[in-house]
Amino acid sequence: MRGIDYVLKRIGFAVVTIFVAVTINFVLFRLAPGSAVTNLSRVPHATQQLRHALEVQFGLDKSKGEQYVIYLKQLLHGNLGVSFEYEQPVSKELRIALINTLPMVTLGTLFSILIGTLTGVIAAWRRGTPVEALTVSSALGFYSMPTQWLGLMLIIIFSGVLPTGGMTNEFLLNPGFWQHLKDLASHIVLPSLTLGLVLYGEYTLIVRSAMLETLGEDYILTARAKGLKPWTIVRKHALRNAMLPITTLVALSLGYIVAGAILIEIVFSWPGIGRAVYEAVLQRDYPMLQGAFLLLTISVVICNLIADLLYFKLDPRITE
Amino acid sequence: MSAPLLRVEDLHVWFDLAEGGELHAVQGVGLSLEPGERLGLVGESGCGKTTTALAIMGLLPPSASVSGRVLIDGTDILSGGEAAMRPHRWVDVAIVFQGAMNALNPVRTIGEQIVESLELHNRARGTAARSRTAELLEAVGIPAGRAARYPHELSGGMRQRAAIAMALSCDPRVLIADEPTTALDVMVQAQILELLDALCRDFGLALVLVTHDLPVVAQLCDRCAVMYAGEIVERGPLDLLYHSPGHPYSRMLFAASPDLAGLDEPVLSIPGAPPRLDRPIDGCPFRPRCDSAFAACVERPSLQEVAEDHAAACHLNDRVPA
Amino acid sequence: MTNVAPLIEAPAEVESSRRGFLFQTLRRRPAAVIGATILVLVGLTAVLAPWIAPYGLHTQVGRVFGHPSWRHPLGLDDGGIDMVTLLMWGVRVSLVVGFAATFVSMAIGGAIGVVAGYFGGVVDTILMRITDYFLVVPDVPLMIVVAAIWGPSLFHIIIVIGILLWTSTARVIRAQVKSVRERVYVKRARALGAGHTRIVLRHVLPQVAPLLIANTVLTIAVAIFDETALSFLGLGDPSTTSLGQVIEHAFERTAISSGAWWAIVPPGALVALIILACSLVGGSLEDALNPRLRVAHLSARTFRLRPLVGRGTDAL
Repeated sequence: MRGIDYVLKRIGFAVVTIFVAVTINFVLFRLAPGSAVTNLSRVPHATQQLRHALEVQFGLDKSKGEQYVIYLKQLLHGNLGVSFEYEQPVSKELRIALINTLPMVTLGTLFSILIGTLTGVIAAWRRGTPVEALTVSSALGFYSMPTQWLGLMLIIIFSGVLPTGGMTNEFLLNPGFWQHLKDLASHIVLPSLTLGLVLYGEYTLIVRSAMLETLGEDYILTARAKGLKPWTIVRKHALRNAMLPITTLVALSLGYIVAGAILIEIVFSWPGIGRAVYEAVLQRDYPMLQGAFLLLTISVVICNLIADLLYFKLDPRITE
Repeated sequence: MSAPLLRVEDLHVWFDLAEGGELHAVQGVGLSLEPGERLGLVGESGCGKTTTALAIMGLLPPSASVSGRVLIDGTDILSGGEAAMRPHRWVDVAIVFQGAMNALNPVRTIGEQIVESLELHNRARGTAARSRTAELLEAVGIPAGRAARYPHELSGGMRQRAAIAMALSCDPRVLIADEPTTALDVMVQAQILELLDALCRDFGLALVLVTHDLPVVAQLCDRCAVMYAGEIVERGPLDLLYHSPGHPYSRMLFAASPDLAGLDEPVLSIPGAPPRLDRPIDGCPFRPRCDSAFAACVERPSLQEVAEDHAAACHLNDRVPA
Repeated sequence: MTNVAPLIEAPAEVESSRRGFLFQTLRRRPAAVIGATILVLVGLTAVLAPWIAPYGLHTQVGRVFGHPSWRHPLGLDDGGIDMVTLLMWGVRVSLVVGFAATFVSMAIGGAIGVVAGYFGGVVDTILMRITDYFLVVPDVPLMIVVAAIWGPSLFHIIIVIGILLWTSTARVIRAQVKSVRERVYVKRARALGAGHTRIVLRHVLPQVAPLLIANTVLTIAVAIFDETALSFLGLGDPSTTSLGQVIEHAFERTAISSGAWWAIVPPGALVALIILACSLVGGSLEDALNPRLRVAHLSARTFRLRPLVGRGTDAL
């Protein structure tokens, strides 16, 4: 099969990256000074039994090297320790948070990719006209706004019209399925919109320059010489080629999405991973912070891998 | 007299420059081409030959402005702008670009790209289009099975053959070949030239060959137009241009071409550089480099007939009445 | 020997034309002019803050969340401190963080890029692998973790942002260094016995300068953005006032529910303005430097037609 090497290489790279992240995680938290950080078993209000169990689980009486091996083993079993704050396993807390985060982030990201691609193509197509100036400057404007601040602005604008905090209306007792869904949908609008708006600007700029580069390629001239209509050329020849750099650059902006999600969840009290990170920072809940960091990193690495494979699918030139 | 197949009248092309001002790339070019005729358009790089070729098909970039007429069977196709030219492209005039160019879309197979033009101009659809594509590929010497290959999977020579097959897909009457053999190695160059020669004969094509390479023109063309600084300085049958050039530039160009000059004659190079086209040209544009310049050359010469079917833009011809 | 003279002259010529290019680009593109003007104004405000700030940074001059008035055009914050004063000092701290963190990342990225591109081979492979990993790991969560462990201080924030932003610099520099290295005059210089340091300083740096400047300006924007993010998470230095902290304070102390929009709109708008200015300057430079953007074979605009000139060939 074509490019099986490439696929294996990308998967290998992802695995190594995750391993590096896992190691950084260990090093940062165990080798850093301060007993609160070094000692995983210092769960406040914990029973003697839980403390002892954790000590054994993570080998806290052993050397750093052995601890590292034990840490890896526990990680393989999904054991990230116990949250100081919630006195619950971190993995359980994170699972709930992740489920809450995903729809909000997905919606916002899709929105941004859609608007970004559309405005980027228009900007490239209308190069040197006021239309380009307008699309590019509004994209730059939204790109420049601090995420948390844009969220706050939307709250000021839409307070009273849309719910500005939380995921559901807690005063809604025993709602039916549709009622619950409607409630959820109304709560998701502002956080998703904020994410969509801060992200779209970057995508507009990426798509615009990728399209401009493609429109300068020789095969575009060939397509014109064949007598194809301009929009057919854009759709069938330019966009397909421009997708290649776009895929890569969108994958590289994943870190930015994560950052945006954290800030937005704080502003809108959305009970997801970002909120969990925030609480963990405030409470110095290190196991939780560690777990969240690991989860975020792994998600980004996996999304990157998907982008790499998509690139492979789009570009027939990749053979190795 | 019936109108010629392709006629270009008083073609001018200007390009807007980023730093302001404009570049007068083509300055009043006139050409005409009969069915089956083969014309070589030669000159140094930057002399406007490629721009002329692109202007004939209306393929100029947005930064260009153009004036003049491009007539096909006596009908002006340039005056309607880009949209009006579209139906003539590939059907009346097709083009093959430089071998070095990335002229084929890298993410679509060569078969798809040929089928696309067949379907666009309603020549064939579906299965019929695919079998026509196979025929075309065979005609240029590519095994039909390669239709499913992507451009990067073919060698440079094969890519150029595929580009030629694509250009022939809608049975054009004029084929423009812009430096078709540049960047190919010598063996492949010869093969491509032979292929073009055979195809023009078999398909009854009129050919405009744009090149800086005189031996290539000598091999393929019967007529030749020499361009310098955006204008045609001499045109006529190739033999006439070679044996009795009417313009010092043509004479020096032929002398500078090692394959044509013969081994015993010293190969000359033309000293100096062509004039800048972003400012008005004063007098004869070739004057600073010319070995025979004289007083009259402060006036810009226009293209005058020096013999039957042979014209040159040089004041030397004024002194010697024909 | 006749060929040598132009080869030796080439770098000087290229250098001056590059420098000219930089200013020409900045002058010709309105976006770049606007961006540069904003940056200069903001920079001046930051430098002059101690002298031009109308009130003391820690003096309460009115009631909590006092409304905007002639004396306080942007009102007062939750501590009764004049917002204009607060913003001037905030810009100062934010710019210090932006510049210092960028300096750190430039130093790291520049060194890695030059070494990888110049020496190539195994060194290049290893350094680029490391860069690849850093490019994938999401920087803000890592910053949060590091800042949370090290504790909040301006110095830590600068270092943390700096050591996580060097990847794009390293890549840009490496690519340029690689291509410059191959050019004739560097080979020439090496043949003439110039040392590595000298080659890098005299021949490579002038070449990469415009791209490096574009990259620097864009990195400053990201650093300022990241600082506001860290501050918002409560990881800012409590002893200083950055724009990020002004936003965070206003959010924490319920400026919104108090209806004190003036405590929250201006600081964010100011951050947006600074980032916008950096993007305008950096983006214009990048666009101008990208040779692939110079040709357009297809655009909504087409070539124009002009009336017939009527000189020459019709006679024939």
